[in-house]
Amino acid sequence: MDDRRAAILAEIPRLRRYARALLRDRDSADDLVQDCLERALARMDNWRTGDNPRRWLFTIMHHLFVDQTRKTKRRAEVVMLTLDDSEALSSPAEQADSVASREIMDALQTLSPERRAALVIVGIEGFSYAEAATMLGIPAGTLMSRVARGREELRGLLDDVARRSAIRVVER
Amino acid sequence: MTRHDFTERDIHMALDGELPEEERAGFQSWLEGNPEMKARSLRFEADRARLRDTFAGVLHEPVPHALAGLVTGEAKTRSAAAPRWRMAAAAALLLALGAGGGYLAGVGGLGAEAQSEEELAEDAIAAHTIYAAEQRHAVEVGANDKDHLLGWLSKRLGLTLIAPDLTAEGFQLVGGRLLPAGQKTAALLLYEDAKGDRISIYVTAEGAGKAKGIYSDEAGEASAIYWLDKGWGCAVVGTLPREQLLDVGRKAYRQLLAGAGMA
Repeated sequence: MDDRRAAILAEIPRLRRYARALLRDRDSADDLVQDCLERALARMDNWRTGDNPRRWLFTIMHHLFVDQTRKTKRRAEVVMLTLDDSEALSSPAEQADSVASREIMDALQTLSPERRAALVIVGIEGFSYAEAATMLGIPAGTLMSRVARGREELRGLLDDVARRSAIRVVER
Repeated sequence: MTRHDFTERDIHMALDGELPEEERAGFQSWLEGNPEMKARSLRFEADRARLRDTFAGVLHEPVPHALAGLVTGEAKTRSAAAPRWRMAAAAALLLALGAGGGYLAGVGGLGAEAQSEEELAEDAIAAHTIYAAEQRHAVEVGANDKDHLLGWLSKRLGLTLIAPDLTAEGFQLVGGRLLPAGQKTAALLLYEDAKGDRISIYVTAEGAGKAKGIYSDEAGEASAIYWLDKGWGCAVVGTLPREQLLDVGRKAYRQLLAGAGMA
């Protein structure tokens, strides 16, 4: 295996994390990673060797994610409506996650794909504003306000969840 | 000069490490003077920690073979036909391994024998991952005491074990150790080149199986070239480029067989 492939291989765990945060569902996330790898391998010449392939791969994956969310906007709305019933709907794999994890994953899915991507790429993946803006193909100012609004919205959603669970406890 | 007109925007910038160095002290005192803003800052930080914790586990999950194999060329793309270059690469690999007896792990027809060859390769990779990373305690007996090392390991394995000479390939023996391998024992010989890259030769007394192949662990870092033949199980493990590992592995295996009078 040549060095370039080895470098790509090393990025798979990071790509999987980004995809999981974007899509939540494990299989859909791995499908996204697979699409990303296929595209990357087919366009290896676009990657300037010597560079760490991370930004290149994240950029490819983000483009695929944007394409995909355009096609599945309706599904995103369904996810939003079922937020309250997440426990009943969760698959066996998700049941292993703690309640706190599930709450934050649900909340993250409720954000618009644009805010979610901005928040995840900066907040979880740790890219700088400049790097993230380049990868998402938007001006740095736009990126920044998406991060800020994403955080605000997430906070509100988590507060709502906390309030609802508090009410449930009182009702029992 | 410090700025005095900090806003909520700066909370995000500070959190993301984007606040210029010279403004950080000013920002901090602004926060101290604004309990509401300070609470918000702490809250954002806590939410971020929750987010990170929630997804941190993904990094430690084994990478699915469908993904790693795509990059190494061992798994097919999802589209029905595999691209021509990949078929060519697979064919080249089969040729490199030599005809007869062996097959590639992960390509069809895995029976009971495949079970043991996979185990052999996985055990060998696990041993390599643990011991090759050790600087001071990589081996139990060093190369300076080679005769004792080989006598001891041969006795414990019930085989005649030699240490292949890989000088021409740039590798020198570091030493070896004895390992458990299920109910049996295995020997690990560790080699190092001038750059400090290490490979290990893992040998165990296997049953009647006959197979050979290449195996990569799911993390895809180390690969094992392995042979099961003539009552031997042998795997050469390393993170070298595959062609190089194949070359070194074949030379080592040939010498091992010759040394035991079986070649």
